[in-house]
Parts: sequence; C-alpha cells; structure tokens
Amino acid sequence: MAQRSEANNVGFLMVIAILAWAVPGAGHYMLKEKKRSIIIFVTIVIVFLIGLYVGSIGVINPIDSKAWYLAQIMNSPIVAALGHLTSSAPEKYRVFGRPNEIGQYYTSIAGLLNLLCIINAVYLGHLRGSNLEYPTPCKSGG
Amino acid sequence: MSLMASFVRASFIVPENIGTNPQSMLLLLPLVVAIAVIYKVTKMPKITAVSFIKEVVILSGSIVIFITIIAITLFAFIWLTTE
Repeated sequence: MAQRSEANNVGFLMVIAILAWAVPGAGHYMLKEKKRSIIIFVTIVIVFLIGLYVGSIGVINPIDSKAWYLAQIMNSPIVAALGHLTSSAPEKYRVFGRPNEIGQYYTSIAGLLNLLCIINAVYLGHLRGSNLEYPTPCKSGG
Repeated sequence: MSLMASFVRASFIVPENIGTNPQSMLLLLPLVVAIAVIYKVTKMPKITAVSFIKEVVILSGSIVIFITIIAITLFAFIWLTTE
C-alpha cells in the first residue's frame, strides 16, 4: 500500500513537472499556489516575448546556437516548434549582432528561470506529499 | 490577415535596431527585475503584495548596485593599467 502511494506521488510530481514546463506557472497552479503561478506566468512570458521582440524568432536557432537553445527550450515545448520553423528556413530568419545577443540573453534567461520554477514546483509537491512545511531559510524569505 | 495581426507578426520576425551605445545597457534592468521576481516568488513562504514588492525592489537594487561596483572596478583597473 505504501509502495503504491509512493508510486502515485512520483507520478504526481512528474505531472507537475510536465505541466510546469508546458505552461510556466501551471505546476504551482496545480498545487493551489495561484498568486505564485500568476506571477511566474506573467514574468516568464514577458521576458521571453521581450527577447523575441528585440531579436526576432531567429534567436531560437537549434542548429548554430545549441547551448542557447537548450536553455530556451526550458520555456515551453512551443520553443521547439519555433526552432523547427527557424531551422526550416535559416536564411529568412537569420539575425546578427546586438539584437541577436540581447534576444538570446532574454529568451535563455526566461528558460532558466522557468527551470527554477519547475524544480520549485516539484519540490513543493514533494513537501505536500510528505506533509512537510514550506522551508523558511531566513526571516525575510530569501 | 488583418493589419494589426500582420504588424504583430512582423514585430517578431524582424529584429529591432539596437546599437552598441551605453543606453543599450538599460536593457539589463528588466532582466534584473525578472530574476528578482522569480527568485523571490520561489523563496518567500507567504506572498503579500507589499512585502513581495519590497523584497523585489531590494534584491533588484542590490544586483544593480553590485554590477555598477564591478563595472567601476573593472574600468578603474583598465584605466590604471593602460594609461
């Protein structure tokens, strides 16, 4: 019985991780942390869209910028679709110089921030499953 | 496709023109605020508007101040070693 409960918990954590990756903030929403989920969604979407606006969708380049792409894909699976689009017509979407640089910074940092949120959502789910409290590292919370 | 939709689509297909001038460093600020927001949203045990904004402002300010100190230090080092 305990083994089944543990398996259910692992499955639940997997669902949270996948949801949090698919839609930024969705993992926290599943855990009934609505304020956190809204803040995460708005922040990550805005940062990602600023990156795309500044550098165009050409900053998502799975062929020539693999390391950046790894960070960018942590935003959402939609990035993979954009990567497929840009790699199918590289000459059309190619971007150089400062806009490329700034766009890659924004989109990649948005992805890494979403990775942090995914890990946090899974950790919160684990704490809930183990009936533990939210950790408080210091009085101010940070 | 409507004119508005075409305009939005074009905004994400054509890159902006950003020069390598000192003003372009201001693009750092939204990124700093975003990092502070996400860090605090994952760290604070309870989120209330006032305390959250206060924490984000303090963290964003700290990051900007430390980046400025590092920039001034590097500038001074380069100036001393090349002049």
